[in-house]
Amino acid sequence: MIVAILTDGLFAAVAGIGFGAISYPPRRAFPYIAVLAAIGHALRFYLMTAWHVDIAIASFCASLTIGIFALLFGRRIYCPMTVLYIPALLPMIPGMYAYKSVYGLLMFMQNLDAAVMSNLYLQTFLTNTLITVSTLFMLAIGATLPIFIIPKTTYSLTRKHKDKSNS
Amino acid sequence: MKSKNELKEIADFIADYATCLLGSGVHTSRVIRNSDRIGKALGVTMKMTSFPKTIILSVYDTDSDNVQTEVVSIPPLPINFEYNSELSGLSWDAYDGLLTLDEIRRRYHAVRARRVMPPALIVLLVGLANAAFCRLFGGDWGAVGVVFAATAAGFSVRRYMQRLKVNHFIVFSVSALTSSMIASAALWFDGTAEIALATSVLYLIPGVPLINGVIDIMEGHSLTGVSRLIQAVLLIICIAVGMSLPLLLFKSSVL
Repeated sequence: MIVAILTDGLFAAVAGIGFGAISYPPRRAFPYIAVLAAIGHALRFYLMTAWHVDIAIASFCASLTIGIFALLFGRRIYCPMTVLYIPALLPMIPGMYAYKSVYGLLMFMQNLDAAVMSNLYLQTFLTNTLITVSTLFMLAIGATLPIFIIPKTTYSLTRKHKDKSNS
Repeated sequence: MKSKNELKEIADFIADYATCLLGSGVHTSRVIRNSDRIGKALGVTMKMTSFPKTIILSVYDTDSDNVQTEVVSIPPLPINFEYNSELSGLSWDAYDGLLTLDEIRRRYHAVRARRVMPPALIVLLVGLANAAFCRLFGGDWGAVGVVFAATAAGFSVRRYMQRLKVNHFIVFSVSALTSSMIASAALWFDGTAEIALATSVLYLIPGVPLINGVIDIMEGHSLTGVSRLIQAVLLIICIAVGMSLPLLLFKSSVL
């Protein structure tokens, strides 16, 4: 179990770094993005396998954790939270469900004449779309939540000279 | 008190700064706060309205009645998180250190002139990322290899077409088509081909506008937020369109 969780985190870290690289983060952010991606994905994997939590709620817990750690890391390296957590969230995109939605829609259109088959594919499309959309929504909300709970802190992560403050 | 010219220079700079941030994937409220801070550092009051493709900003001199208003369009820049963090930091430095306009401008151009990561390295990293992603979904090593090749090829196509300034939606459809066509090669030699097909296009998912859209809407910048989300959803539909050709061609072999 522990090995499975660790490998899960490792692959998520590689995915986080690569998807992050597309958006050109500052170089100092890469190790932190990797750690965040690993923590988030491994936590979701653990919740889903050990506790049988559903994917939307597990994603919410994972992304909330990513958000909180992004806040702590961001203060250390003067990076806005979004710079750290967006790449870390990307490995949690429910890709297989998204794929099955597209597949379901296509096959529905191919089987319009066959009532049973088209119903089946319609069901595939609806189920998978719902799972995809709700998981994406929970991911976005979870990571963003710290911004709304403590805006003052999250808005000043890139401030280096607080002591010299003039207000 | 500031002369008309000084006020105009300040307004020009803030307009440039704010549109650069908005164009490179920073959510609206951060851009407004950053610009406001720079305005305060330079001794002016800044008011700004942000639309999806333009901003309107007015800079007021606090000691006189002078006002400078500008309407500036937002350039479609590639997403750049380095601008996000370094230019946010610059606004705080200006605010705390009370830098002069020349100094702020010098640092701003220094950040914008920084070299980005070499393209070959990015292609390699993105390929590895998508391959690791494929592994996370349970693909076997054959599928992982195919996804690496498919992603590297599709991502290169995307970069090439973006350099030619091809329409965004066409770029996404063609890149998705390229990646998923190559990924369907996995059908010939392993059992997890559908995982390879599904993951091969995921590097295209517009994660930044999706998250920024949610943040913008929740902070009340609904207009910009909804327009970001619409753009993101349209791009996702383009990805689906691109991958439907290989799906239709090989539908008897998948699932």
